[in-house]
Amino acid sequence: MLEFDGLHKSFGDNHVLDGVGFTVAPGTMFGFCGSNGAGKTTTMRIAMGLVRPDAGAVRWQGHHLDQEIRRRIGYMPEERGLYPKMKVGEQVTYFARLHGLDAAAAARASEEWVSRLGLGERRGDPVEKLSLGNQQRVQLAAALVSRPEVLILDEPFSGLDPVGVDSLAEGLLDQVRQGVPVVFSSHQLDLVERLCDSVGILAGGSMVATGTVEELRRREAGRLLRVVVPDAAHGWAAGLPGVRVVSEQAGDTLLELAPGTDDQSVLAAALRTGRVRHFAWREPTLVELFREVVAAPGAPEAVAS
Amino acid sequence: MTAPGTPGSAALVRLVAGREVSTRIRDKTFLISSAVILLLVLGAVAFQVVIASGAGKVTVGVVGDRSALQPALQAEGKAVGADVTVVGLAGEAAARTALAAGDVDGALVVGSGGAPRLLVERKADPQLTATVQGAVGQLAIGRQLAQAGIDPLDVPQVGVTVVNPGTDPTGERTGIAIVGIIVLYTLLILMGQFVAQGVVEEKSTRVVELLLSTMRPWQLLAGKIIGLGLLGLAQIVAISVVGISGALLFDVVSLPGQLIGTVLTVVAWFVLGYAFYAAVFAAAASLVSRQEDLASVITPMTVLLVIGFFIALQSAGDPSGSLATVTSYIPGLSPLVMPVRMAAGAAAWWEVVLAVVLMLVAIALVVRLGGRIYAGALLRTSGKTKIREALRAERL
Ligand SMILES: Nc1ncnc2c1ncn2[C@@H]1O[C@H](COP(=O)(O)OP(=O)(O)O)[C@@H](O)[C@H]1O
Ligand SMILES: [Mg+2]
Repeated sequence: MLEFDGLHKSFGDNHVLDGVGFTVAPGTMFGFCGSNGAGKTTTMRIAMGLVRPDAGAVRWQGHHLDQEIRRRIGYMPEERGLYPKMKVGEQVTYFARLHGLDAAAAARASEEWVSRLGLGERRGDPVEKLSLGNQQRVQLAAALVSRPEVLILDEPFSGLDPVGVDSLAEGLLDQVRQGVPVVFSSHQLDLVERLCDSVGILAGGSMVATGTVEELRRREAGRLLRVVVPDAAHGWAAGLPGVRVVSEQAGDTLLELAPGTDDQSVLAAALRTGRVRHFAWREPTLVELFREVVAAPGAPEAVAS
Repeated sequence: MTAPGTPGSAALVRLVAGREVSTRIRDKTFLISSAVILLLVLGAVAFQVVIASGAGKVTVGVVGDRSALQPALQAEGKAVGADVTVVGLAGEAAARTALAAGDVDGALVVGSGGAPRLLVERKADPQLTATVQGAVGQLAIGRQLAQAGIDPLDVPQVGVTVVNPGTDPTGERTGIAIVGIIVLYTLLILMGQFVAQGVVEEKSTRVVELLLSTMRPWQLLAGKIIGLGLLGLAQIVAISVVGISGALLFDVVSLPGQLIGTVLTVVAWFVLGYAFYAAVFAAAASLVSRQEDLASVITPMTVLLVIGFFIALQSAGDPSGSLATVTSYIPGLSPLVMPVRMAAGAAAWWEVVLAVVLMLVAIALVVRLGGRIYAGALLRTSGKTKIREALRAERL
């Protein structure tokens, strides 16, 4: 288990993390979501020993992360960084060696990863000569080359085209299949929904929601009702007790029902307007869940930016 | 499967140092500057060769009877260490022409009456004057003795035995020290710049975050300083070997032992100076995040080096002066000034020990403080960090 436990961190008066905790099981992918400035990067940097937490700890298999364990973690920082004038192959080899591989093993692993990521022909080129997308691949190679036991990736998908996104996603799923716990942060919630076994949403300094996408859905399900009534006048549902109109467009209405509201009374009201073409509980998307939890009272700071 | 072991501190420092060396050794700036320094030293040797081959050769033209003068001039020349050639000249006009053309260094006009006159183009070389004066005087005495009936051969000739063939051993050592100081100064500036650029490169490209996820700041700093230091040391040793071999080969120094001693002193002071400046340059560079801002933080250190360099040059002329004496103790300046004073024989052993101890104390302080600044400022990759902020920042 990779455990983030009760992390607190303030920068001066800015209380960024206020008891952040979640766990990631081996062989699962964890999507780490939150608004800009929520503290995702800070959390990951704490794990990598780049920021010192005021309280709390990060553990892998029950052990506090220290320099030795961190060398077995593959990390991709939010701000990408490589030596621009160093050759692709040499660079990946260097990072493999920093992670503890001996010279021969590092050279072999570098060779392997550079080819696997489709950079075989660019092995001898300095990194600065590569396109941004390819530089990102080198960055990934640097994170993966030492066969890390854990992967922590800060917005690995940002800046990639759809093809790049797919190949990175495939690469990460491959790691997961080998039993590596993967944590990545992302704003692309559709991607998180597609790839991740579990999701955590950070807002207001703590995890406002964690669990599988399924669990989160169930928590929020039964509240959003989609009703399509083509003949209804605009605002047909506005006066119904316990009902909030989320959106309404040419009769396609999304309603949020307060707990205890009877859906059958809504159906009756809909029928009174004329034809009812669609009436169903709607599974919220992760985007909607995200909006929901992030906008919830108690987490007002997180809405900023 | 390759199970990664855990590299210890030494292994990490070695990896960082290895990367520094292998990148720099292919770097154009490094290669060009190495070539320039080497040429400079070879130039100094060549200059000495030319000077040495030209020294001690005197050509004297004689107007009038030179049968007696020629052997006297040559004997006299030998005594003062000059190789005298005597040529006959037709008259005073011919003498002036020969002087103007540079065919002779002086022309001796022996008239029928009165004292002989020595014509020179501009200024009389003391060696020439001494030779001519001696020869003429000897002949005159011989003549007078002969007139008095005494056989001139009975006059004992003073045999000159050269005890110390180097005319001025401390002067020679000082000259070597000056060449050494030029090399030392150039290498300190060069290596200091390399350290500073390397630190800023890692910050500006943000690669530092990835590096610090595998090692501590001090390991990164130590690797960088040691790597570039070994490169600098290799360079100064290579230059010394080439310089010494050249000097010995062309026989431009009279005392090879003193040459080697002076060069070793310079190399030792290079090591001390490098340790000091590398730490200072690294700490200063860690405060900025862009190469463009680098000049603003390292200029004070560069100025200190330049000042030290000029004081060193000045102290070659006045090695016991108060400026040279005081600055030869000041850490940071001492690596440039002390070798010159030592070469000039103006520094007592305890003075050298004191300067070294002060320098070591300063290095210890600078490495500690610089390391703290470096560690505190390294991850602040935006804008400029103040020293106070860096010292107060949380250290990893
Ligand atoms: N080194 C730092 N010094 C001061 N404030 C910081 C520092 N790093 C992050 N912060 C602040 O912490 C908050 C969280 O930032 P971050 O962790 O980068 O959020 P996220 O990655 O979720 O966008 C932001 O308000 C940011 O300004
Ligand atoms: Mg971030």
